[in-house]
Amino acid sequence: MTLTRLLARRHRLMLICWPLLLVALCCTLPAYQNTYTTPGQRRIAVESAQHNAASTLLYGRLPDPGTPAQMYAWEIGAFVTILAAVMAVLVAVAVTRAAEDDGSLELFRGCGISPAQPLRSALTILATMSVVLAAGCAAAITVTAGGAEGVTGAGTAVFGAVTGLTFLVVATGTVLLAQIVATAGHARLLGFTALGGAFAVRAFADTEHLDGLNRLSPLGLRAVAEPFTADRWTALAPAALAALLLAAAAMILSARREFGTGLVRRRDTRATRLRIRTTAGLHARLTRSSLLVWTVAVAAIGALFATMGSGAVEQRRDGEVGGFLGAQLGAGDPTAGYLAYQGTLVGIVVSVFAILAVLDGRHAEDTGLTAQILATGVRRWAPTAARAAVTVAGGAVILTVTGVLTALVAPEFLAGDDIAVRGLAFTLGQWPAVVALTGFATLLAGAVPRFAVLAWLPLLAGGVTALLGDLLGIPGRVQDLGVFLHVPDVAAPDRPVAALLVLVVAGVVSIVAGSIGAGRRDVRA
Amino acid sequence: MTEPIVDVAGLVKNFGSFTAVDGLDLRVAPGEVHGFLGPNGAGKSTTIRVLLGLYRATTGRVRVCGRDPARDAAAVTARISYVPGEVTLWPNLTGQEVLDAFAGLRGRRDTAAERRLTDAFALDTRRLVRTYSKGNRQKVVLVAAFAAPTGLLILDEPTSGLDPLMEEVFQQCVRDAAAAGRTVLLSSHILAEAEDVCDTVTIIKDGRLVESGSLAGMRHLAASTITARLAGDRAGAVVARLRQTGAAVDGDTGAVRLAVPRDLVPAVLGVLADANADDITCTPASLEDLFLRHYEVAAR
Repeated sequence: MTLTRLLARRHRLMLICWPLLLVALCCTLPAYQNTYTTPGQRRIAVESAQHNAASTLLYGRLPDPGTPAQMYAWEIGAFVTILAAVMAVLVAVAVTRAAEDDGSLELFRGCGISPAQPLRSALTILATMSVVLAAGCAAAITVTAGGAEGVTGAGTAVFGAVTGLTFLVVATGTVLLAQIVATAGHARLLGFTALGGAFAVRAFADTEHLDGLNRLSPLGLRAVAEPFTADRWTALAPAALAALLLAAAAMILSARREFGTGLVRRRDTRATRLRIRTTAGLHARLTRSSLLVWTVAVAAIGALFATMGSGAVEQRRDGEVGGFLGAQLGAGDPTAGYLAYQGTLVGIVVSVFAILAVLDGRHAEDTGLTAQILATGVRRWAPTAARAAVTVAGGAVILTVTGVLTALVAPEFLAGDDIAVRGLAFTLGQWPAVVALTGFATLLAGAVPRFAVLAWLPLLAGGVTALLGDLLGIPGRVQDLGVFLHVPDVAAPDRPVAALLVLVVAGVVSIVAGSIGAGRRDVRA
Repeated sequence: MTEPIVDVAGLVKNFGSFTAVDGLDLRVAPGEVHGFLGPNGAGKSTTIRVLLGLYRATTGRVRVCGRDPARDAAAVTARISYVPGEVTLWPNLTGQEVLDAFAGLRGRRDTAAERRLTDAFALDTRRLVRTYSKGNRQKVVLVAAFAAPTGLLILDEPTSGLDPLMEEVFQQCVRDAAAAGRTVLLSSHILAEAEDVCDTVTIIKDGRLVESGSLAGMRHLAASTITARLAGDRAGAVVARLRQTGAAVDGDTGAVRLAVPRDLVPAVLGVLADANADDITCTPASLEDLFLRHYEVAAR
């Protein structure tokens, strides 16, 4: 078995799931044909999007005349290229520096493999993934587009190529950065920082009409190539050349550094002390970096999302929005509907944070860390309860920061009553849902850890009922069983909170039951 | 009679259909250094996890510090220092922060002992754990264990990853702990390590007790090894005399090797001296000999 195949096999889950997600996202073109029932309605939506600064910041500029294919390339194209770039950072680090850090590459190097081979294998995998992504996205459009207006073979091919090349440029850039920094974690952090910079450059170029700047950002490739509008194949050549140069530079730098280290030395020592007395205190200290990253990311994305709703809210007031967005805005005050929709999305994301944090407890048990904590006189239930308590508190922190930021920026972009209070309340109001899902995950991870993966089920069900319940015709009583649709409008005369209390109580009871269950079974490992 | 600090009777631990520990008895008296010996997979770590309350016994009676660890795990582990066989620590903390974490959770610490042990093990506690070698990670938990104000140390393969110099430091720490009245249960498959520091040993294999008792007593029962070189013309006659003593003789000309019960050693040495044999050596039974003898018996 070659090293390339071995690396691919080792990371097969990541290499299969990410492309599947992106290809699935590319299957949504027909929705742009169906959302607006008449050309006039679509024209109004296009003009609104073209004059909305927040939309331009996030997606770029929507070209005329705004066919469904162009809207798809503008909106879904933005999501797909950003996700492809995120995937590129994660995969590039996983097949290069992460394999060095965990010692597996050391074993391979001891089997007669040349020093340059691991990086060559990694680059081969990344290039292959780029081709798979390009082909998969193009195939998804071809199969699902039907007769959607504006879809062409050339545009489809350019869209696929843009996705693949965005992935490849970011991946090779990350591989280059991974030769410089000390660890895989630093490489990921630097890769995402560079990605944030690329997004900022693209956003600045689009909002300030500086088209040339888009050529400097991998995320600007979509705007330069313009799939379904100009279909500029030649615009892709510089990106392909950049990927080649980045890969070559990475090979050169790789040959100049020691195995397991970067060209830049890391700071490996510090004289700080840890002043904790409880398991919860220790867990809070251990997770604070992760919590900070989640808080910044969710607050930034949540607040940005809140600023983007003005067009949709105005159109809804005119009765011109149907489909998915229309269902989210509901029949009442569209501003409240939009902020509730934003709060639901934030609640779903924070619930992902919470479930991941709770399920990480299995890893702590498997590696013996929990056993070492328990050997210091800590009660058997304490690590499980502490993890749940810190997770619930962390969820509150993320929601509070996001809610406050939303309350500060949303009134500048959305018209309506009580925007700030509603923005804060709809976000903070998702905390009971987070508590309930944390509790369910704790119950499974604590009492029956082999079934802990089922913790994702209520999140999935709650997400589907909240986002697609009306579109799928799910009865209201069934939708009420989901955890995300119980936040009342604080500006409405009737503000029922019984469901929120039930969620909190259910979460707390589950946490207690899960902690007791953890104390009554054998520790894993 | 003093109550054992570790008192296990008829311990059985099943994982599904697999029996990891099968009717084990283990007693450790206060203040003794007790070797817990057995090959890989013998059930040593499983037994230790039961002692710590991490696993629940399927059947059997388990008492540690007079308490049942399955019911009072926290009360038991508050009096125990534990060093696991596989040490994993939090990579983003420094060695000192890990020591602070363990001491903070325990609620008690002996700062002077911690500093002394850190120096003895030559451990740089300012470094991040992710930069530590396996041996350095082992040192962190050894410092935490010996520095904690506890009465019982449970050490599961504690020297894996330590260099020979640090193994000597470790053995001195065990002797100091015993001198201070602390009890040590030392699990190991490195026989020389147990031989150097243990007063008593328990040997297990396949989850079952093979033998338990004082090291001196076991040696008394086991054969010493005597080797010698005999002159060629008288070798046959000398070997015949040696066999008459009841010793088992390996080789009949030139070099001979004998397994001799302790009470026959003077007679055998007398025969060899009379025969003017050269290069005579006499080695008391090592723990390794005991170990191998028991394995051979168990394998038959």
